[in-house]
Amino acid sequence: MRNPRSMRFVSCAAAASILLTVAACASDGEAGDDADQSLEVWARSDEASAVSWQFMLDEFTEQTGIEVEYQAVQEFDTQLQARASQGDLPDLLVNDAGSLGNYVAQGLVLPVDQAAIEGNDEVPQRIWDESIGPDGELYGVPFSRQASITILRKDWRENLGYDVPTTWDELTELAEAFATEDPDGNGEDDTYGMVVPGSAQSGYIYRWANPYILQAGGDALERSEDGTFSVVFDSPEVNEAVEWVQEQFCTEGVTVPGSINLTTADTPFFQQGTAGIYSTGPYNISTFSEAVGAENVEIIPAPAGPEGTTAWAEGENIYFGASSDKLELQQQLASFLISAEAQEIGMSNEENDEGVAAQAVVRIPVNENVDAAQVTGDERLAVAQEAYADSEPFPWSIDYLPYRQIVADGLNAIAADCNADVAEGVTSIAAQLQEQLERDEFAG
Amino acid sequence: MTSALAHERTPLQGSGSGAGRRRPLSWPRIKRQLIPWFFVLPGLVLAVLFKFHPAVDGIWMSFQKVQPFLGNEWIGLQNYADVLGDQRFIDAMEHTVLLAVGQTTGAVLLAFCLALLMEGASRPLRWARTAVFLPVVTALAIIGEVWRILLFPSESGFANSVLSLFGLPTQQFLSDPSQALWWVMMVGIWTAAPYNMIIIMAGLVGIDRSLYEAAAMDGITTRQRIWYIVLPALRPAISVVLTLAAIRSLRIFTEVYVLTGGGPAGATEVWMTRTFSLGFDSNNLGVASAASVLLLLVTLALTVATRAITHRKETS
Repeated sequence: MRNPRSMRFVSCAAAASILLTVAACASDGEAGDDADQSLEVWARSDEASAVSWQFMLDEFTEQTGIEVEYQAVQEFDTQLQARASQGDLPDLLVNDAGSLGNYVAQGLVLPVDQAAIEGNDEVPQRIWDESIGPDGELYGVPFSRQASITILRKDWRENLGYDVPTTWDELTELAEAFATEDPDGNGEDDTYGMVVPGSAQSGYIYRWANPYILQAGGDALERSEDGTFSVVFDSPEVNEAVEWVQEQFCTEGVTVPGSINLTTADTPFFQQGTAGIYSTGPYNISTFSEAVGAENVEIIPAPAGPEGTTAWAEGENIYFGASSDKLELQQQLASFLISAEAQEIGMSNEENDEGVAAQAVVRIPVNENVDAAQVTGDERLAVAQEAYADSEPFPWSIDYLPYRQIVADGLNAIAADCNADVAEGVTSIAAQLQEQLERDEFAG
Repeated sequence: MTSALAHERTPLQGSGSGAGRRRPLSWPRIKRQLIPWFFVLPGLVLAVLFKFHPAVDGIWMSFQKVQPFLGNEWIGLQNYADVLGDQRFIDAMEHTVLLAVGQTTGAVLLAFCLALLMEGASRPLRWARTAVFLPVVTALAIIGEVWRILLFPSESGFANSVLSLFGLPTQQFLSDPSQALWWVMMVGIWTAAPYNMIIIMAGLVGIDRSLYEAAAMDGITTRQRIWYIVLPALRPAISVVLTLAAIRSLRIFTEVYVLTGGGPAGATEVWMTRTFSLGFDSNNLGVASAASVLLLLVTLALTVATRAITHRKETS
């Protein structure tokens, strides 16, 4: 039975649904007219750090009347690539300082005029210089800095009667003690030494091992005056560090079993109370303190390697999205974000209306008028600040991702096989780094 | 009444169109032919937007150096040369083929045994079937996560404590470069077998019972029964299962990504994890696209070949 009227209705409905689908797609691209006084901001943040961002940006809107549309993005680089492929980027993006070379190489970010950023003299010039691209132009506004720190379970260490480790050997010894001497006193053999994200994914194992490479006096690349780079990885210093790294993986209990495949997302051992040593960034302190009690979490000065205690520096920059035509607004927000006021808000652990506690997004403030330990009242942050004072970042002016991946893949292979020849592995990594430098035309 | 209405309107519209005789062009007829398309269109629009358009884009990107903000650069077959000249892609291909062959055979064999065991209508069997089928409806990422926990490489890990009951030493499982791929394969078989089982079971139900009765009267053994009756009757089902399983195994990604992320020492790196890592860890979308296109071609060739072989067997 066919009923023309109902058929007509159905065809209208079908047509309408198509129009709706098409309209929904079309309306997507219309956001961001010239006239509007608002900014779209992307920052890599999870739920807790998003609260911190919201506090800062709300304050900005209140002071200036400029609306900010803020997006907390977790898979930042994947999402950014997706946005980039549409030719439309957020006005402001806040992400790793080390990504600068990568973004510049892809043309994703605009140059920054340092003089146009209000209060730029409150940020040390040394930190500004870390945002200079390969062409000598400035491409980012420094927002926050941090350095790798060593976090310990204080109660475990004291239960077993050990002092704070000051050398690599003492660190290994403590890790072994955590694994074998039942530091939590529950009568079970269920604890380990170090938490290590040892997977090569996103370069994790290299990020973990890099402080040790630096502390042995080694590095991967060296920048020369003319902006070119040379490979310095195949050195006795790096060999010594990598041998030590392999030893940690190959001594039972020193690292959590299975660490070789783990990313930071799969390593909750410190929070769970199954491991007691973690070399990581200071942003973890609040999470760890909440999980095992603030009094049980201590930050120690890096145990010294053969050449000292150099830490690996990281940080976040504010970048100006290349497709944006709101330069003045971008500058205004960037000026606010590096001001003492905003940096202090960015360090708070207050709760928002929904009861979610903020996680600090300003780790070590770039503004020299702000003191992290003083603002938060957490003395442990002073150690983190000291660590930053003696620290080295990855090369920022080139797209370092491929290099990071080469070293991470190589280290992962050496740490996975306790019989692997370290010298051979290191030489092979150095050769691949050289190849990549030549491909990128940065070889000196 | 509705049909009366329809009857009244048709001649009116027919004369309106002026042609009168050429019934195929009458408006209601056109309308009748168009309406199904209206129903299909929303889905079609979505498929074009989210499937075909990106796929064509991907093929296009595979010939370019992709840099959205600086303008893409046409570089011909360079990306393909990069993929085929990259030792790690070659290694990944070996792992992928090994996994595909191992998982496909393993999963089909296990599925066949399961299907023979689970065929029937009794209530306990229905429960057992549901239980066995559960891996299929569980998200792959969760399966990976659960197995990763089961295979925790310390003495206290679940799998190791089971092994220790039999006096076996502690295993490193996914952390040992020489075993990791085999454990990934085992998880793959465990995940894929139940789905295959359902297809094979459907084939088993279709076998004419009288053949079994006749065979029983001839006094044949179980093995002969499987070989001469069950397997030939299952040929179409098994060909479907083999094709699906082979394609699925070549595309393997989630399990590997969650279980090992391609490690340790690249021992479990497969085609898709290498592609993903190049595309999103190293931002090399051109080469990643080329690798995906190659996988598409291989899958296509394999599907056509499997179809051709089984088709010939079926007709002969």
